[in-house]
Amino acid sequence: MKDICESERSKLQRWGKFQLPNTYKKIGWSIVIGTFLLMIAKKFVDEPTWVKPVLRNAMILGFLIVSISKEKIEDELMASLRATSYRLALIIGVLYALVQPYVTYAIESLLDPGNAELDNGYFQVLLYILLVQILFFNALKRSS
Amino acid sequence: MKNNLKVQRAIKDLTQEDLAKLLGVSRQTINSIEKNRYVPSTVLALKLSKVFEISVNAIFELENGD
Repeated sequence: MKDICESERSKLQRWGKFQLPNTYKKIGWSIVIGTFLLMIAKKFVDEPTWVKPVLRNAMILGFLIVSISKEKIEDELMASLRATSYRLALIIGVLYALVQPYVTYAIESLLDPGNAELDNGYFQVLLYILLVQILFFNALKRSS
Repeated sequence: MKNNLKVQRAIKDLTQEDLAKLLGVSRQTINSIEKNRYVPSTVLALKLSKVFEISVNAIFELENGD
């Protein structure tokens, strides 16, 4: 049992420390800026329906690469700041995603009362993020 | 927690950049420790103690409320 816990801890810690090298930060920002420019450009031309979701996903991927890329000197201060930023991002992101549909609904109700719809499209993503965070936290706590 | 890192650095005639290189951290980390904005890990505190050739207690001091 002790061996299983030890193996679980080392695996989680190894994955928890995963980061891309600093050079990937430039690649990530290039993807973000490139997709942003393409999003602006596509407003002036007719494009197939698949273009918009692909560009959105590419932008999210770019931001993810930036987020998990190391700083030039990735030391313990950076690790601490990174942990704080992820914690804040999770809390603010969840609150935003909970409130945002109601704000949109309220505005749509004022502008077009007949067609206002309450869209909770973020439910599955938020549920997944929170469940993963809670599961990992408990696994790390159990094995530390 | 307060510290006298700046004084110790002056005694050894080291810049923040010099100290950062010796410890393998960024200059920003040294600056944050000196400004009491960041409390270093035990490992980093021991490395500082080794560089300045004094005990950790001679660099860091607990304050009321710590």
